[in-house]
Amino acid sequence: MSDAYLDLAGLTLAYGDTIAVHDLDLAIDQGELIALLGPSGCGKTTTMRAIAGLLRPKAGRISLDGRDITRVAANKREVGLVFQSYALFPHLNVFENVAFGLKLKGLPAREVEERVGAGLRSVGLTEFAARRPAELSGGQQQRVALARSMVMEPKVLLLDEPLSNLDARLRLEMRAELQRVQKASGVTMIFVTHDQAEALALADRIVVMLNGGVEQIGSPEEIYDHPASAFVADFVGFENVFALNDGKLDTPGGAMALAEPPAGVAGLAWRPGSVALGQGPHRGTVRGTSFAGSTREYLLDTPLGVIKAEADAGLPVHALGEEIAFDLPVARAAHLARFG
Amino acid sequence: MTSRWFPPVVLFLVLAFLIGPFLIIIAASLSAGETLAFPPRGLSLRWVFKVFTVESFQASFAVSMFLAIGGTLVALVLGVPASYALSRYKLPFSEGVRLVVSSPIVVPGIIVGLALLRYLVIPFQIGILPALFFAHTALILPYAVRVVSASLNNLRSDIEEAAVLLGSSPTGAFFRVVMPNIRGGILAAFILGFVTSFNQVPVSLFLSGPGVRTLPIDMLAYMEITYDPSVAALASLLAFMSIGIVFLAERFLGLSRYV
Amino acid sequence: MFQNRAAAYALVLPAVVFAAAVFLLPVAVLLSESFRNEAGGWSLMPYVEFFSLGLNQAVFLRTLKLGFLVTASAAIAGYAAAFAIVSLKPQSKGRMVGLVVLPLMISPVARTYAWLVILGRTGIVNQALQTIGLTDEPIRILFTETAIFIGLLQLFLPLMIISLVSALENLPRDAIPAARVLGANWLQVFWKVILPLTREGLVVGGTLVFTGSLTAYITPAILGGSKVLMLETLLYQRVTVAGDYVSASVIAFILIVMSFSTNLLLKRIATARNRT
Repeated sequence: MSDAYLDLAGLTLAYGDTIAVHDLDLAIDQGELIALLGPSGCGKTTTMRAIAGLLRPKAGRISLDGRDITRVAANKREVGLVFQSYALFPHLNVFENVAFGLKLKGLPAREVEERVGAGLRSVGLTEFAARRPAELSGGQQQRVALARSMVMEPKVLLLDEPLSNLDARLRLEMRAELQRVQKASGVTMIFVTHDQAEALALADRIVVMLNGGVEQIGSPEEIYDHPASAFVADFVGFENVFALNDGKLDTPGGAMALAEPPAGVAGLAWRPGSVALGQGPHRGTVRGTSFAGSTREYLLDTPLGVIKAEADAGLPVHALGEEIAFDLPVARAAHLARFG
Repeated sequence: MTSRWFPPVVLFLVLAFLIGPFLIIIAASLSAGETLAFPPRGLSLRWVFKVFTVESFQASFAVSMFLAIGGTLVALVLGVPASYALSRYKLPFSEGVRLVVSSPIVVPGIIVGLALLRYLVIPFQIGILPALFFAHTALILPYAVRVVSASLNNLRSDIEEAAVLLGSSPTGAFFRVVMPNIRGGILAAFILGFVTSFNQVPVSLFLSGPGVRTLPIDMLAYMEITYDPSVAALASLLAFMSIGIVFLAERFLGLSRYV
Repeated sequence: MFQNRAAAYALVLPAVVFAAAVFLLPVAVLLSESFRNEAGGWSLMPYVEFFSLGLNQAVFLRTLKLGFLVTASAAIAGYAAAFAIVSLKPQSKGRMVGLVVLPLMISPVARTYAWLVILGRTGIVNQALQTIGLTDEPIRILFTETAIFIGLLQLFLPLMIISLVSALENLPRDAIPAARVLGANWLQVFWKVILPLTREGLVVGGTLVFTGSLTAYITPAILGGSKVLMLETLLYQRVTVAGDYVSASVIAFILIVMSFSTNLLLKRIATARNRT
């Protein structure tokens, strides 16, 4: 058994006969803030529900704080979950919602009051204690849901797409809130998201998932600068991704030989900003252009297929239809260990 | 369609047709005369009072009440768990279960009564009252399941999962979190079942015996031999009772939301 | 969380067992009785014998005839009433619908009984007719098909109205003005625009009214008596007067087939609509 705080070993999860997660291994340390990142259907939510105990694994093992919880019922795991819909109890007010789990434990009323009070204070909702969920805004409901789970002092706190339903401003506030709560309490936090920006901004480590398996695990910097596969590269914004076979780039226009191809690498990927515009051995036609504030984006039709490039907004604009030289400098490419 | 005279005239005619007869009955029951007639000759409450003195009505009222309240309670005890299972679990036979449980609505009541008489009461010597009770419960069951299902389908299941993760057992979650939120639906089902059972006639036609008669059946028998306004008075009283229950339910529950 | 199949079966079992044992089984046995000949084997003789009697044929046809008549009349009156209701302000609309639904809560015995008073020899209809001078003697309305027709229509019209109100509310707002602008007169508007678009509501209402009329007991019993029999009153009579359980089973089977098939039709149309 591994020393990790939360350890998933060989986890296979299925809905009926459909396998959603296949042979997953994941080790998480205490106090980490982890993001499960991936497109819908990749298995991230399924994994989260398995950790919570809402889904019984078909195979594999889950252990938490040294204890094997694979067969332990969901109500005995000391795992908290903030649902995407918040799942507040409509017939109870804010105080009663937050007190729900504490009362189930049979704690004396005095202690329940203290802990609920502290919980509401920590999310800034003390004046709302008597309100019903229906009277609260979405952001407020979410904070109640967070407090409700946190007062139970769970070993792991799971959050299902915590920022997806929020508007831009609330999203930033909530992001800061989650970070603050996590750092202050030291709880091991795992959140599920399809938004790479959120994962990069919040997490200590990111687990990129695809089709029921793990594509890459790493810090935000690692994922961002050194994607391990074409999928991850595409996911974090590398628009120009090519397979490398026998030192030649695999492009829609044919194989392109490289001057000094790196060894042991399955693919290369360039960010739009890494494409050298204006000089280089290749030529392309500007098919589209859009202004993005500090940069200008260009879509080029080239013998290498469609290339997405970027230039500083201050530079002279390249017009539609204009022919332009460009280069894909190998030095500025990310090396992909896997392609498919 | 937007011409000014159309709506009031049509609605007046339709309402006169639908409700008019009922108003006539109320008027006839307040007659001071000896025979049933409209317009009533003089006004008096004596026939209304007479209704309360007829002994058989008292007995049959008790029977009808017993069947309506008891039958609906049992139908709910059977129907609420069934609706819960049908809406929360993906069962392979759920359509079949729904069909079986809803079937009493499709079968005319008179057939149910006859079938129970011939194959339950007579062969197994089950008394008339128990057989009536079974029949009424069976008739109310589809309503119970349908109305409660509607409530359950509107309630997200993730609050039950939330309750479990906060430490509750699944059964505890049902009572702490689901029941309080479908209370309105259950009450609506109760009222619907009560009214349906109370006004039910065909089922009870064959399942009547000495001392065991539902009120509507008793009324029918009484109507065949009596021609004084007390029948009209009884009809009016019962109508007011039904309307009153439903009106109160709508006022305090918003009954129409669940049906 | 909801993965424990065994628990789910345990929850539905009581209701299913109850319905099967107390309801389905006895009714099934009753129906099977209609397919047995005297020797105890399977046979269609009971049906042949049943329909060979003139009285039975007449009752069967009368039941169907009244069913269709009531449904057609309910459709016409229903559309008129529904249009009127839909054109009202929201509060009045709600109150109107409430008034229309009100009769449904009253016992059918009470509702039908009223017609005895109105249609009888000394009832208001006759009184009015005589006062106006249309007849010299009271005409017989009670215990005729007309009386049953009136009673059934009053009983089931609210169902049709509610169905049609619901269907009309879902009509696209501009459909009628669009047709009018294209030159349609009101009859064409109704036939080509309103009818097709409210078809589903008409079918729902129609099924309820038709099935209700076919399987009515109280109204034919009170307003038709033993002179004008419908299928259910015939059934009752056969059992109580002649102890003829075989005929009763035959009638029961016919009633269930009619009720079941109209309900099936309803489901088919509902699901077909959902697919479009």
